[in-house]
Amino acid sequence: MSKKVGIVGAGVTPFKGTWREKTYYELAQMATREAVKDANIPIQDVDAAFYAIYNDIFERTAIPEHAIHGLLGMQNKFGIRITNGGATGAYTMSAAHAYLAAGRFKTALVLGVEKATDCFDFSSMSATPEVIKAIGWSGDSFFEQPIGWTASDSYAEVVLAYLDEHPGDLKAEITAQISAQLSQQVRSNNYAQRQFDQVTPEEVMNSRLVVYPFKELEICVYSEGAAALIMAEEETAKAISRNSGNPVVWITGVGEANEHSFAGKNQKDMSRIMSDYYASHRAYEMAGIKDPTKTINIVELHDAFVHQLEISMAEFGLVPLGNADSLIEDGLMTPGGKYVVNPCGGLIYCGHPVGASNIMSAWSARNELIKRGLKTALVHGTGSTVAQYTACLIFEHG
Amino acid sequence: MIKKKKVIDEIYIPDVGSQVETIDGKEYLITNDAMYTFFRRTKGEFSAFFLALKNEKRLLGCKCTKCGIVRVPPFLTHCPDCNFAPTELIEVEQVGIMNSTPPITYFATSLFQHMAPYGRGRVIFKGADTAMSINLYTTTGILVPGIIKKGTEVKLIFRDERIGEMTDVFCVPTAELTQEKINKNGLQESEIDWETPQEPSLPVASEEDSNQYRKALDEMKDLIEDMNRNESVRKAIAGWKRDIQVKTRGGQFAIMIDDGDIKLTESVLSSPDFIMVCDDINALLDGLAYRGAITDSVINKKIWISKNMEFNTIFKLDRMARFLVRSKKV
Repeated sequence: MSKKVGIVGAGVTPFKGTWREKTYYELAQMATREAVKDANIPIQDVDAAFYAIYNDIFERTAIPEHAIHGLLGMQNKFGIRITNGGATGAYTMSAAHAYLAAGRFKTALVLGVEKATDCFDFSSMSATPEVIKAIGWSGDSFFEQPIGWTASDSYAEVVLAYLDEHPGDLKAEITAQISAQLSQQVRSNNYAQRQFDQVTPEEVMNSRLVVYPFKELEICVYSEGAAALIMAEEETAKAISRNSGNPVVWITGVGEANEHSFAGKNQKDMSRIMSDYYASHRAYEMAGIKDPTKTINIVELHDAFVHQLEISMAEFGLVPLGNADSLIEDGLMTPGGKYVVNPCGGLIYCGHPVGASNIMSAWSARNELIKRGLKTALVHGTGSTVAQYTACLIFEHG
Repeated sequence: MIKKKKVIDEIYIPDVGSQVETIDGKEYLITNDAMYTFFRRTKGEFSAFFLALKNEKRLLGCKCTKCGIVRVPPFLTHCPDCNFAPTELIEVEQVGIMNSTPPITYFATSLFQHMAPYGRGRVIFKGADTAMSINLYTTTGILVPGIIKKGTEVKLIFRDERIGEMTDVFCVPTAELTQEKINKNGLQESEIDWETPQEPSLPVASEEDSNQYRKALDEMKDLIEDMNRNESVRKAIAGWKRDIQVKTRGGQFAIMIDDGDIKLTESVLSSPDFIMVCDDINALLDGLAYRGAITDSVINKKIWISKNMEFNTIFKLDRMARFLVRSKKV
């Protein structure tokens, strides 16, 4: 019989466009120090470490976690690194959950950390093109890297294919409104990269095209930072909670799926994000959720692009496919609406240090469940080429 | 002796060096660095596919000997749908259909700035069941949304110089070609009529046009002076140098960017880095004032630029406009 698993502590660093003052070693320790402090346990009480680090090039080191294992006080203990593109953090939480549920360990550190903007393009004297190029090495090296594959054009393929099937959805004025709303929600997040970067829908619509159809203010920024959780199996979680005074937030459902990376017959249907569909529904099944529209209160999803946020919400079954704009048009995610969506500001406004991002989403979902006295949250990560990878988790509180 | 092209162009390679940044009174050392490994990399089981592109101008796929599914490119040797039944290489046709509407990249990474703007989408060639990722262009100028969509029929074109990579080929819409060219296998880029971008001519300005031009130019001068005083804006053009000749119906002027400095002068440059033409000066002014993106104006043909590679400078101008507005809010 598998054990129940919960989150007993969490900590994040501020997310910034660039942390000149810190290497990833110190960012990792900063988040870990905060997480064990929040759980009110010494690091020596943590049995295993699960590292969420996406891109060796960002850290300029293959096996980037090897250096931080010891400086986090985890020497001679279990340590594993997971890298799954943008879904790295979510998959790392999934892995930690599995080991704890199986009874292998009583406690685990889940740590996500990423640099990015040490990458620098000396031909244009700016960081962003080189950051995008570093991510570009993730594309298929034989058939796609040489022809300019990027994360943006890869997700744009999926969004455009969705629009081929549902031409009336994802209207420009709606994606602009969602971006503007997220920019308002981020104001209360003291760790966010763009905490004071509030924009109007008009400003979003006036921002420049990066990759058609994505406008600059509809795309997540690249960030540096770290986020950490302390997870524990049931009895240990309850004991830690009694000591810290923080309620346990339980992980009651987990689901994952990775699609084919090529399109066509028996391969990826470009107009869907089936990984989102399968992962969320597997998580619902494990959590015993029959109708997510009646159960899910908070959604912290990986919004790489606003258009993809809308499609993902449809794949989760929270709005109809083809009418994802109902998120705004029917007030489903507007303030006071049925779903609280990305209260942290999402990756678009809080920031996206890739390995840490989904863990930040978990940190936020936990905080919001406790603060608002709500019961159930869905936490999501998407990644790889053509929105290929997804991991989803269900959190319950109370 | 013919100088061979390097795998990495020298313009991307920084000099040895470092700099110090001071933040909150503390110094931080920032070093120029590179993480590089060179390869003599095998294409392995894909060699036949790439050699066929390079040497024979043929497009190959692989066909499952059990279920018959044809995959292009032939990225596997055994079919996982049939518990790894073997596949065999076959040739497919060089005309296909867009599997879905392709994205168009305007802001490219350092490796692909010379190609931007470019489309990259998936084509199901006749005879294939799966889609191949490939670059897409139009022969009519800059690729903009609407030219290539889901279902658009496209033709495979071979580069004149081929090296055995996916860059050896691209596609253009068959609607832009003659039937003879559509039917020809191994059609090369030099056999296509490419429209050469011509600098647009401008109508003669009326007195009202001239008055509106002066008014807009004055506003633009003030805006550019504001930008020059703004730290975030200056940082956006640190290390960048461009002299731009701007031609509008009402008159022409120069915008000069030089390592953080930007200025506007009512002059004609003898050798600008590139030329920008807009019938209405407000197309540029609105962009600089963050009332609409300059990038979008280029895409929508309200602004013409003489070199596509200067999208890079256009992005910087858009960024400067945004930084100016954002810094005033904060």
